[in-house]
Amino acid sequence: MSELMHSGLAPYLLIIFAGFLPTDFWRWTAVIAGRKLEEDSELMTFIRGVANAMVAGVIMRLIIFPSGELLAVPLFLRAGCVVVAFAAYFLCRRSMLAGVIAGEAVLIAGAYYLLH
Amino acid sequence: MPKRPKAAPEKIAPPGKVGAFLLGMRAALTSVQGMVLFASYVGYGGLCASIGFPFGAAVFSTVLVLALPSQLLLITGFVAGNAMLGIALAVFLSAARLLPSVVTLLPYLRARFWVQILAAHFVAVSIWVESRRFLPPMPAPERVPFYFGLALTFNIASVFATWLGFVLAGNLPQAFAIGLGFLTPMSFIIALVRNARDLVDYLSLVFGLVLAPVFVWLNAPVDLLWVGLFGGGAAWLIQRQRKARAA
Repeated sequence: MSELMHSGLAPYLLIIFAGFLPTDFWRWTAVIAGRKLEEDSELMTFIRGVANAMVAGVIMRLIIFPSGELLAVPLFLRAGCVVVAFAAYFLCRRSMLAGVIAGEAVLIAGAYYLLH
Repeated sequence: MPKRPKAAPEKIAPPGKVGAFLLGMRAALTSVQGMVLFASYVGYGGLCASIGFPFGAAVFSTVLVLALPSQLLLITGFVAGNAMLGIALAVFLSAARLLPSVVTLLPYLRARFWVQILAAHFVAVSIWVESRRFLPPMPAPERVPFYFGLALTFNIASVFATWLGFVLAGNLPQAFAIGLGFLTPMSFIIALVRNARDLVDYLSLVFGLVLAPVFVWLNAPVDLLWVGLFGGGAAWLIQRQRKARAA
């Protein structure tokens, strides 16, 4: 198994066993369990919290400890563009498009300035 | 010039199963939600390229998983060198929010068990939003073929978008490739704020942001799992206490 994990197949095995199956478990359980679970039950609220925190965590990790290409731009730019994105989002009456465009503009302009 | 006769309204004859499937495909191709999905997967492809996740596996992950948060945890866990079991657990916890989505769609997808299982496989945020919009007003026999037309088109478009994003990242000037790689994280974090309804949503977001570097510095195995359990758990507890006090 550990030999497999170090071969080119590793990401594919990971996708099946750590991506597809744990994700579809819930999709299938929903069909099997049907309507027994309520959206606002304590359990579902807890799960929502955990899922939110993990997604926020992934993004923070990409900002602070990135890998690959993203390392080419400094931390202040990776964090700064997200701050700008939020500012634009709120200033433009909660427009997601405005937030993303502003954040991307800062990131791309900053990267261009620093790398060229 | 003589006036052309008005086209007959579409609803005169029922479209039949194939017709409903095609209508589902058309709905997918003209959906704003679908365009957002497409852009997100272009960003995902770009992110895979920029953090060094292999091309074939990036495309394969969209073919099979079709849930961006799961895929995000998967690829970042892989490049961080996390163990498979830990990544599986993190994905497992994050995907739990798909359960209520599937449950609320099932009344509109009445079919044999295995057809429902297959239908459930495609459920993610975009397909859920569009199904809630299109399916309820439709005649019952057309809903399932319509749904599969919609879902398959979204799936194929997402796979194509992943491919496109990866290829683009390799051919764009570096600054733009970096911008593309950051598109999905940036839109995700804004979407978390936009979709937040209760205290638990806001708190878990803040706790997740704060705890992530802490657990990385602690060098915890599968740091994100702990971020989720502690951050989400604390957010949930605080909301519960607030509610209990208010009651």
